[in-house]
Amino acid sequence: MNVELVGVALLGLGYLGILFGCGMAVERGWVPVRVTRHPMVYTLALGVYASAWAVYGSVEMAGKAGFGYLAYYLGAAGAFLLAPVLLVPIQRITRTYQLSSLADLFAFRYRSRWAGTLVTLLSLLAVLPLLGIQVQTLSDAVTLLTGSRYSSAVALLFCAVIAACAVVFGARHSHRHRHDTLLTVIAFESVIKLLAMLGLGAIALWWVFDGPQDLQRWLEGPGAAIQATTPQLEAPQWRTLLLLFFAAAFMMPHLFQITFAESLSRHTLLQASWSLPLFLLLMALPVPLILWAAQSTNDSLPLTAYAAYVMTEHWWVGVLAFIGGLAAASGTMMMIALALSGMVLNHLVLVARPPEARSDLYGWLLWLRRALVVGVIIGGWLFAESVGRYHSLTSLGLAAFVGMAQCLPGMLALLYWPGANRKGTVAGLLGGIGVWLWGLWLPLLLNIELPALPFTTLTNASDPAWYSTTLLSLAVNIVLLIVVSLFTRISEGERSAAEACSVDAVIRSKRLPLEAATAGDFTAHLAQALGEEAAGREVERALKALNLTPQERRPYALRRLRDRIQANLSGLMGPSVARDIVDRYLPYRHDDAPVTDDIHFVESRLEAYRSRLTGLARELDGLRRHHRQTLAYLPVGLCVLGDDDELLMWNQALSQLSGISGDSVIGSRRDSLPPPWPNLLSSVLNASQTPLYKQAVTLHGKDYFLTLHKAVLSGHDSRGGSVILVEDHTEMKWLEEELVHAARLASIGQLAAGVAHEIGNPITGISSLAQNLRYDTDDPALLETADHIQQLTQRVTKIVNSLVGFAHGGRPALPLPTAPAALKTISDDALHLIHLARSSEDIVFINTCSDDIVVRGDAQRLTQVMVNLLSNAKDACRPQGTVQITAGTQASHAWWRVTDDGHGIDPSVKHRLFEPFTTTKPAGEGTGLGLSLAYQIINEHQGKIEVASPPPGKPRGTAITLWLPLYQQDDHSPHAPDTDC
Amino acid sequence: MYVYRIMLFLVFGGYLLSPLFMDGWGDPTAAWYRPFAIWGGLIALTLWLEQKRKLDER
Repeated sequence: MNVELVGVALLGLGYLGILFGCGMAVERGWVPVRVTRHPMVYTLALGVYASAWAVYGSVEMAGKAGFGYLAYYLGAAGAFLLAPVLLVPIQRITRTYQLSSLADLFAFRYRSRWAGTLVTLLSLLAVLPLLGIQVQTLSDAVTLLTGSRYSSAVALLFCAVIAACAVVFGARHSHRHRHDTLLTVIAFESVIKLLAMLGLGAIALWWVFDGPQDLQRWLEGPGAAIQATTPQLEAPQWRTLLLLFFAAAFMMPHLFQITFAESLSRHTLLQASWSLPLFLLLMALPVPLILWAAQSTNDSLPLTAYAAYVMTEHWWVGVLAFIGGLAAASGTMMMIALALSGMVLNHLVLVARPPEARSDLYGWLLWLRRALVVGVIIGGWLFAESVGRYHSLTSLGLAAFVGMAQCLPGMLALLYWPGANRKGTVAGLLGGIGVWLWGLWLPLLLNIELPALPFTTLTNASDPAWYSTTLLSLAVNIVLLIVVSLFTRISEGERSAAEACSVDAVIRSKRLPLEAATAGDFTAHLAQALGEEAAGREVERALKALNLTPQERRPYALRRLRDRIQANLSGLMGPSVARDIVDRYLPYRHDDAPVTDDIHFVESRLEAYRSRLTGLARELDGLRRHHRQTLAYLPVGLCVLGDDDELLMWNQALSQLSGISGDSVIGSRRDSLPPPWPNLLSSVLNASQTPLYKQAVTLHGKDYFLTLHKAVLSGHDSRGGSVILVEDHTEMKWLEEELVHAARLASIGQLAAGVAHEIGNPITGISSLAQNLRYDTDDPALLETADHIQQLTQRVTKIVNSLVGFAHGGRPALPLPTAPAALKTISDDALHLIHLARSSEDIVFINTCSDDIVVRGDAQRLTQVMVNLLSNAKDACRPQGTVQITAGTQASHAWWRVTDDGHGIDPSVKHRLFEPFTTTKPAGEGTGLGLSLAYQIINEHQGKIEVASPPPGKPRGTAITLWLPLYQQDDHSPHAPDTDC
Repeated sequence: MYVYRIMLFLVFGGYLLSPLFMDGWGDPTAAWYRPFAIWGGLIALTLWLEQKRKLDER
């Protein structure tokens, strides 16, 4: 049944070739982005947790501890069930500060290179046994399938190809972008190993056994005796195992990278809280089936997934187990190599040899990383060959998991105890690592048993070494962390980092000015550390991310730019080196300016995290938004300035008034605002008494009068600053002037009414005398004269009545007119009156009204309207201009139009053309009452006025159209027809 | 937030009671798949809580 060595090597290389092809397909865009970025791909990539241990070690452990093997799966499932309270906060910190490894996180939180370096060294030592398991299982698989003694050489060949895949898909560019290709490849591997395990489980259930009933019969019969001899884990040991695997699920370097650095969003991570446990359930389900199948046939079979192969003696079953194991091992090795290379680069190499200003900084970092990737994988192979082969998979795996668990106390303190400091963490880590090295790692390396540590005797002598070492190392770690932290001082930097990391963080970002005055200065400053090219690219990248321009000068924006550059550099070189570079080359200016909280930054953070707030915090945030919106939508201009003259608020009304959007000025200094605002705001800030009334300013080419109010924010809880209200009183100023003008005209109107009243008596006398004259003579000439006198006195009476009516608030002084009035006659009459004025001599008047258009109305008052319209038309025309009167009918109405070719109506007065006292004529030439009276009269006639300036189809001029109801024969007429019309 | 509290309660309660998972091994009266059935139930519960959380956050 032996398979040839070459055949197995080709099989493995073929599988890795398919993997490579899968990666290339993603790279070239043959796989849609919606697939590569699907949350399920992320979950399957997290399935890298199920390493070769899951395929081989679990079967081995099930044989040694029964269902105790489930701890490996349930521990990880528990960690992801707690995603909302454990993983999401870590994800928030890592994404905000571009932290891609556990060492980055420790170095950032504890502001200590030592913490980062220590975690890196611990990861390196802890991960070696895990890498050893992967290589060991590959080597064992080749030996089992071929019986060849060259299995380690084949394993080395596989390692080389896996390292090449990791370099090609994982270490191509910088360390900070999501590796879609790599994740898709790892997800593909998870599918393969899941199918392999389910396939092997199915073979065990339906091939070795004859289905579930047969399995049950075996378990109740001969299998019961075998199971009864299987040792069971004690409850404390089980719980300890759960804890170890719980910690490993997100703290192992490769899992930390996928869980946090490669996650797309918070929702993706939360989805994994149920989908990853489901994946692990499916991976765990076949394990007891394979084990029982092996036990049912031959008790001496190897207790690994290969049991199924050995039992069935079919080559393809062996291939299935081999491919499943290779998929599990290769994915784990690639991810471990990539994660560990980043940690070693950032926390060992770059710390020992900081980067210099060089033109090929990115290339240098990339090649360094690639070399480290290869080095880590070869290190795993060396470990497997020199150490791993002498130990069981369980021993190797537990040594790795106990080692990484030493970071658990520091990690929990990072999230939930702001009082923990670097000295406590480093002391705890050193203590825990020391116990772990002595109790598990050195015995593994040296293959000897070292003397027991003190206190391990407190556990039972029969307890396994991993158990007593775990308890003692974690106890030492936790005690040192707490005691040292309590008795040593926490630095200011640590305190602010603790606030940033803490779940209940209260961020107090300060508004400090920077030495660099513009975004352009950043490049010059950073070039000293990174070189021209790298500095330019980093600044450009940060500007693009923040949607800023290189000309940006706002202090707020520059501070955000600095933070972004630090976060980006942290992703490239680790937080320690990034912080050093930024602190040194982009320093804050420490002058005498007051230091205040960065409220805008706090607000933008709150906006970003709004959907995550719950309970009271959510209610408070709702209240904050309500108050903010109240200010933002206040119909009065409002701006808020900090004590350092930085603009904190610029509301919508002020944006509309000033033409300056809030987004473009918030965060800038007062003196960097466009004129006239710096002077205007200065004047109100420096004024001893406010408000400042009606300050004349010119905004976007127009004159405005602004009234400014000021309130100084002071008091115990205040963060300082001033609130300035800006009221636009331009309209009010104009209205005031209008009011004065109107009052003057009104007094003239009252005077006119008084005069009209006085005129009324003599006119009545003249009319009576004319009447008497008619009775006293038969002379036709005198009679005609008397008639003329009477007609003219009637006209004067009506004019006087109109004036009196207007002076009495526009109420009609006359009854509704119902007499017939011929438009042609009225037009002729009005033209006759207009011609009496000398100034109308050089204007051509044309009347084309037909005789048969008769409207219902008062001919005298309509004449007055027409006189007003013709007078205006005449004034608008140049010499030799033309004024035309036309008329027509439409349904029950007549239209009566005066068209001129004059200069038209000023658009600024169009909307108030019929308001009293509206005139564009020079002072003394017009009262502004003509059109107002016309409107009033037409309104009384139940008509309407339309104005077109210029008239349709004409370049200039004005057409005023009057619509009046046509006279009907059945109209009630209390007056005799006006024969004048 | 109460969803997270349920989750915390489930995980820590499950942690304390989890040794019961191992009891079915070698017990012919218990179905061998019992631990997996319980585990599947927990996953279904988590899925339900996750849907509820999504609705809460809308």
